[in-house]
Amino acid sequence: MKRVLIIDDASTIRMYNRSILEAGGYQVEEAVNGMEGLEKALETPFDLYIVDINMPKLDGYGFLQQLRAESIDQAPAMMVSTEAAGRDKEIAYLSGANLYLVKPTKPDELIAYARLLMGEPTQ
Amino acid sequence: MSKLISDQEFATFREFFYRKTGIKFEDTKRYFVDKRLLERVRETGNDTFREYFTTLRFQASGEELQHLTNLLTVNETYFMREDYQFDCLVKSILPEICKTHDRSKPIRIWCIPSSSGEEPYSIAMWLLERWPGINQWDVELIASDIDTGILNTARQGLYSERSIRLIPPSWKTRYFSRVGLQYQLCDDLRSAVEFTHVNLSNVADVRRYRPIDVIFCRNLLIYFDDVSRKAAAEAMFDVMAPGAFICLGHSESMGRISPLFKVRKFPGAIVYQKPLEES
Amino acid sequence: MALVKRTHDDNLPSEQQAGTPKTLEELQQQLQGSHPLERRQAAQDIVDHEGATALLLAQLERETSAVVRQVILTSLTRIGDRDAVFGLAECLRSEDARLRNDAIEAMKEMPDQMAEIVEELLADDDPDVRIFTVNILESLRHPHVEQWLIDVLDHDDHLNVVCTALDLMGEVGTEAAIPALQRVGSRYEDEAYVQFAADMALKRIQSSAE
Repeated sequence: MKRVLIIDDASTIRMYNRSILEAGGYQVEEAVNGMEGLEKALETPFDLYIVDINMPKLDGYGFLQQLRAESIDQAPAMMVSTEAAGRDKEIAYLSGANLYLVKPTKPDELIAYARLLMGEPTQ
Repeated sequence: MSKLISDQEFATFREFFYRKTGIKFEDTKRYFVDKRLLERVRETGNDTFREYFTTLRFQASGEELQHLTNLLTVNETYFMREDYQFDCLVKSILPEICKTHDRSKPIRIWCIPSSSGEEPYSIAMWLLERWPGINQWDVELIASDIDTGILNTARQGLYSERSIRLIPPSWKTRYFSRVGLQYQLCDDLRSAVEFTHVNLSNVADVRRYRPIDVIFCRNLLIYFDDVSRKAAAEAMFDVMAPGAFICLGHSESMGRISPLFKVRKFPGAIVYQKPLEES
Repeated sequence: MALVKRTHDDNLPSEQQAGTPKTLEELQQQLQGSHPLERRQAAQDIVDHEGATALLLAQLERETSAVVRQVILTSLTRIGDRDAVFGLAECLRSEDARLRNDAIEAMKEMPDQMAEIVEELLADDDPDVRIFTVNILESLRHPHVEQWLIDVLDHDDHLNVVCTALDLMGEVGTEAAIPALQRVGSRYEDEAYVQFAADMALKRIQSSAE
């Protein structure tokens, strides 16, 4: 079963994403900030990362930069932002994101992009 | 008063506690957690868990959360506790330090808290028994605690059977002698560790230890509030040599405390490193 | 080669430094020093001096080292006065995501000073500033948190601000929040996330009321 790591400091968002991904047949783990995300990725790499941008300790950009630069994992990463201005799209891609989405995400959209990024047949 | 905590309340509490401390209780721990929670509900004069949870969440001083954390993370210390980290020390951390360390200077290892000495003495044995590098390098072992009483206990080196139960038999014969019902650690090892009094919240106190190459700071920071914990991590960062390592307890994550350190994975353990160059 | 005791005569310069407390002027100089280590130590040592807040805030703005910045923020949190929280609130407008997140984290630890400016920040024209303010409420130990969130659910017209408030309501909501949660549910009928989060908050509140 493919594994997805959700990195977000908001527990409701983690639960929301988890319920969607689990219903889609994925195994889900959670981390509350970028540093905890790195710790989990170092333990066992994942097939997909869903990363929030604004988080304490280490934000989403920092997480992705380290994940890529230190060759911890090259698996696809989806970056999700709550920001209204959308000014962080460019930095998201520069940091190594494969896809940038604005919250709130719709369930079918989230699952379709997840499948796409993991190279699985979309339904 | 309501004698039970509902599944929903437990879930809410678990999520809250996880976010605050990084400690997540499995369902198997439910009985243990409920028991202590209900104890605190009663002792704080609340009628229901709900009322108590409101105090826990909103109390400005955070005192109750700290109290509860202490209750839920009872610590027993003994020789060879979480020894996968000692294994990582001799197999991965020290070899890496030796690559760049000045040969004329000792490698300095710091245990904080010292507690009653089981941890620094375990490290001493591990170095002598399992690290070939001990023949080429000088190592200073320092163990510090805020509690002067416990430092004296540590210096004495007298332990119960239970405390030494995980030590390999051959090491036991080499380093301990039996005194009545207890075991006395030999003088060689006792004198190999320097015990000092230190308060991690006092930066001037901590700075005297620079430069440190490896810190063991296990199961201590969980007892601090958020700001003190971050300040303590920064104080330790301050005394560490560039490239030095810090090991935390197995339920602790530096990711919850401070972003200053790099996460490093070695076979068997995740540890934290001060970057070689300050950015 | 072996286990050895620390040699006390290996002249540790830091031992001498520790003994001599510096004046505010000296620390101010050191805070702008060229080496990050100097600045870091100054940021730690300045905490007990009157007038430290302004100096720390000024240095925060120009500080280039991430490490020193962390230490400055910790010191500001420990001082925790009104000026500190006002200065940090300005950082919410920064283009630098890391500085914003660091400021949010520090402000969470200053409940009383934050309380004075929450309402003003929640009425800010910039929705991002409102989102960040709700983020601060997440961990703010203050009895008004729930009421502030209810107001956001009822009055904020930006979906992302509302969603951020909903994230929190699941945890802090009591019966007082039920009407607002129901209203927000019908206000955003087509938003799956709003439905999910409002439902979850409602379930949580109702089950703990039983």
